[in-house]
Amino acid sequence: MVASIVFLSLHLVPGDPAELLLSSGGGGAPDPAAVAELRAQLGLDRPLHVQYGAFLAGLVRGDLGASIVDGYPVLSEIGTRLPRTLELIAAGSVLALALAIPAGTLAASRAGAGFDRAASGAAALLLAVPVFVVGTLLVLLLADLLHWMPAGGYVPLGQAPLQHLTLLALPALAIGLGLGAVLFRMTRAAVLDVLGRDHVRTARAKGLAPARVTLRHVLRLALTPVLTVLGLHMGALLGGTVLVEYVFNWPGLSTPLLTAVSARDYPMVMGIVLVISLLFLLINLVVDLLYAALDPRVRGA
Amino acid sequence: MHASRRSVLAAAAAAAAALPLPLLRPGSAHAQARPGFLRFGLSTFPPNLQPWVSTGAAAGTVKLQLHRSLLGYDRSGTLVGELAESWGRDEAGAWVFKLRPNAFFHNGDPVTVEDVRWSIEQIAGEKSTAYMRAQFQLVSRIETPGARTIRLVTSSPQPTLPTWFANYNMFILSRKSEPNAPIGAGPFRLAGTERGTAIEVVAFDKYYKPGFPKLRGIRFVAYPDETLRVTALRSGDVDIIEYVPWQSMAGIATDPRLSLAETQGAAVMEVLFNGTRKPFDDPRVRRAVAHAVKREDIVQAVFFGRGGVLEGVPIPEGSPYYDPALARGWAYDPARAKALLAEAGYPNGFGTTLLSTATYSMHKDTAEVVQQHLRAVGIEAELKLPDWPTRVALGGRGQYDMAIFGTAADSNDPEGLASMMDPSLSPAYSRSFGVQAPRTAEAFARGRSEFDPARRVDAYREMQAAALEEVPIAGLAWRSQGYAMDRRVQGFTNLPAALSTSSGFILEETSFL
Repeated sequence: MVASIVFLSLHLVPGDPAELLLSSGGGGAPDPAAVAELRAQLGLDRPLHVQYGAFLAGLVRGDLGASIVDGYPVLSEIGTRLPRTLELIAAGSVLALALAIPAGTLAASRAGAGFDRAASGAAALLLAVPVFVVGTLLVLLLADLLHWMPAGGYVPLGQAPLQHLTLLALPALAIGLGLGAVLFRMTRAAVLDVLGRDHVRTARAKGLAPARVTLRHVLRLALTPVLTVLGLHMGALLGGTVLVEYVFNWPGLSTPLLTAVSARDYPMVMGIVLVISLLFLLINLVVDLLYAALDPRVRGA
Repeated sequence: MHASRRSVLAAAAAAAAALPLPLLRPGSAHAQARPGFLRFGLSTFPPNLQPWVSTGAAAGTVKLQLHRSLLGYDRSGTLVGELAESWGRDEAGAWVFKLRPNAFFHNGDPVTVEDVRWSIEQIAGEKSTAYMRAQFQLVSRIETPGARTIRLVTSSPQPTLPTWFANYNMFILSRKSEPNAPIGAGPFRLAGTERGTAIEVVAFDKYYKPGFPKLRGIRFVAYPDETLRVTALRSGDVDIIEYVPWQSMAGIATDPRLSLAETQGAAVMEVLFNGTRKPFDDPRVRRAVAHAVKREDIVQAVFFGRGGVLEGVPIPEGSPYYDPALARGWAYDPARAKALLAEAGYPNGFGTTLLSTATYSMHKDTAEVVQQHLRAVGIEAELKLPDWPTRVALGGRGQYDMAIFGTAADSNDPEGLASMMDPSLSPAYSRSFGVQAPRTAEAFARGRSEFDPARRVDAYREMQAAALEEVPIAGLAWRSQGYAMDRRVQGFTNLPAALSTSSGFILEETSFL
């Protein structure tokens, strides 16, 4: 279904991959005969239903084809790029959790106090500012002005671990700040809700230390919706890291998707969209299972 | 495996503890510089490195390190011998090239006339997708009268044939090359590619020019975001960048750690017309458009002053073909524009569309400025701003009224303008569609086949005069193009005018202080 929608929508929008590929220079247009020849070489001169059939046949065999631009296998490209995107999303999510849970818990425990108001204000600001603005500001501040961090880029973890983590830090921070703002609000609301429940009051009445009450009796319940929201956002981030990857030159999956759309590189676009769709489904499934693991009522249901 | 609530929370806490927060400290590791290696910030990662296929200027810069052709350009933009040590026309009018005795391919084989023949035949072949295919199909016979001599007989006179061999999409490859493994004779050889990220080349020890390249290698890293590209230079992640954004040029020029190599007149912005649609089939209407736009606004608003007004055919000042009397033929004159519209039967103007693209801000911003000035003379142009692939498709099919386009000439010879504005060429998104401009086309044809320098100048001046009347395009603005580099980088220069994107030739002379 997804494959068919992507295939048809891609082929219905204007743009000839052969002409685009041969005119990447942006100057003079390519020789029409050369364009026709390339179109034939790429099989783009075949009727649409034939191309669709070939695409489906490849899909059944697990073959996503090769890039129109340079003949590189789509599956290999995804295999290289996807772990980088997942790493970025994971690092951003971990950072978001690390910021949001303590801050959200503290803000709820002292609702209306100075910290609560400052943290809630900061979260509202981070939610309002687009991620690419946050990213650009981080680059300008930490790389351009202070020279503390590299401006962006990527080296494999195995090649230079420290440099890899350094390059990961800024884009992860850009993702983490935005996501952290969402999770902060969720944590704060959930903790506030749980703090008012009877079992918490009972625990306090028994004389348990406030920290112990928070950790044992409040967070256990409050974190369930937080992790659910995190899971849903992680799914959305699969397709939403485009700007972060672009701003920080992080060679994940989003960048080739963007490039492939601009080049009308049909096999690459279709392959990446398919994989993102599958992963989105997978993450939702994991979130459901996680929810069940965290909440005995759901498990029972 | 059963995942308890406790274990899930513990895992989350452990992951949070592993966060690389300690890295947020002064002195974090930047990209490490290696002695003798230049770190070059490209504007985009090359789609591919096919030597004969046009895949962009960034790809061209890399290809110029891996390959050489018979000719090239020196620092002043003058044609010089590369794999050929000399060239000229013989008495029968054929072009003759004499190869150097000491040029080698990266596999160690000498460069021979058979390799030259093979390369030309591949480019001109029926199955070819080479950028220079049409030009080399004009070579009717390739002869090799000596071990180092190659003679090209063309089907019609081709005075600019030597420039074909200096284009960065025309290289001589070893005939042992495989389709995906070209063997070149450039100053560097390919050392590795990190797909989508970086390309590394290292010096070729048998390069024909003794003492060159001066660098041990070059690492090309793609920075598609222009702000990040500039920041990468400023923060020391790279040593040199291409396509300096215009808004950053002034800051770089005054930065004591950096230097800016800017070339004026590297490329142009222009208006294209659909001559098959009314009212643009009327040259008076096209001329009215040409007179209606105040170019200075484009130069300031779009290029931050880093360009110049273009009120005639794009021939730069200083060229032997430049004629000051013709250079301002489309000067801003709204009264004249209105008069021309009235003369053409549109005293109250008309409504139309203006095609551009939202993909490139310089195209979109130029269109917005043009739209405002057209409105002032009564032309209500609705902007169409699709993505670039759609813009290309609509342009090629002639599905527009007027369009904004930005491009560079193929060379600094006026024949290099043909791909932009010769109306006799096949329809293309980069040229006006179906515009009738017979005198312009005839003058182009004359200039193209004329060897005598004085008569060539006459032909191209006539072309300019005809174009001012027939308006196959309306020039808008020159835009400059810049490289910026750390001051330790020495020997690099930005080639003049349309050759700016060929500046990769100069990287073999580049070194560090």
